[in-house]
Amino acid sequence: MNPFVSRITNQSWVVPVSLMCLVLGLMFSMAWLRKENRVSRVPNLSSDQQKRYLELAADPDKYAQMSGQLQKLMSDKTRLENAVANQSGNAKVLNESLQDLKLFAGLTEVEGTGVIVTLRDFNKSQISSPFITDVDRTIHDGDVLKVVNELFASGAEAISVNNLRVTAMSSYRCVGTTILVNDVKIASPVKIRAIGEVDTLLGAMTLPGGELALIKQTDASMAAVESAKYLRLPAFTGSTSHRVAKVPKEAK
Amino acid sequence: MIFLPLILLFVGAAIGLAIHVGPLHGITGTYLAVACLAGLDTVCGGIRSGLEGKFSADVFLTGFISNVIIASFVAWLGDMIGIDLYVAVALVFAKRILDNLSLIRRFALTTYKDARERRRLKALVQPQSEGGQ
Repeated sequence: MNPFVSRITNQSWVVPVSLMCLVLGLMFSMAWLRKENRVSRVPNLSSDQQKRYLELAADPDKYAQMSGQLQKLMSDKTRLENAVANQSGNAKVLNESLQDLKLFAGLTEVEGTGVIVTLRDFNKSQISSPFITDVDRTIHDGDVLKVVNELFASGAEAISVNNLRVTAMSSYRCVGTTILVNDVKIASPVKIRAIGEVDTLLGAMTLPGGELALIKQTDASMAAVESAKYLRLPAFTGSTSHRVAKVPKEAK
Repeated sequence: MIFLPLILLFVGAAIGLAIHVGPLHGITGTYLAVACLAGLDTVCGGIRSGLEGKFSADVFLTGFISNVIIASFVAWLGDMIGIDLYVAVALVFAKRILDNLSLIRRFALTTYKDARERRRLKALVQPQSEGGQ
């Protein structure tokens, strides 16, 4: 006798199916692609899907961001105009505007939540694979640069490398066994602290095929990432003078 | 009553959004998405067998749980051995969902046509019986 032969039953299907639909709805809400998990989920999609999704999602975001910036600039302009009109308050408003610019340029200390990425050379004598060379076992300037770039790309608002604040003028260069960051020598372990939305930054750092995953291919101990409830990053302390670049007259 | 599963599907999603259980990040989210397809297939299968009068709660519940687990496991296994097996799982479940939905549609259509025919015949019979009396 075939045990799988269908039998006619009179059981009510509505209640069990409905209950499972409730569970299914919960599962769908967790698997749905949303703003919060976009950075970590999109790389797992096929290239066609990625393109469609990014086209769909990027433009409204960008529009909202631009609108926000425009609104802020307009209100700044109004405040400055008001200050000019009312001579007593202008110094205060100018100072506030200056402080905002300093925050943007990395010239002030900042605090907030974020992540700490630690990169270290692999010094153990036992090599796990004969294909791993000395070059793979060392943290290079390119590794630091790529991690910093990936953090900025995933929304980090301020970054420091071994307590040296990263700015628009920062540079990374390997010199012998050390790395120069902002022309200051640092060595392994390299601690990169980034302030930003913790989940997004963690998602970007733990991405399969991401920069940390590539470093970890040599050995898992070479890269680590942890969240931090409170980070305080120092201000940029290097030179801010320009010798060649000048602001054009019409832009002043 | 028949729309209760659909309503509860949205209620479940709303609860998920309200209590902030998600969204899942990275590859875990992909595994759960595959599991969702498996769950949707089982639910469609449940509705179909219910309409056909062959529904069994035990088979349905164990089917839901095992399909969800197996789908996620196969997707994970694919990642471990370097093949995009989740695409294969998604294809198979998508085909099954479409098959089930087409059977549900046929069943609903047949029921509707039967009911209409019955009403028509009843309308034909009633005046005759009234005239006979």
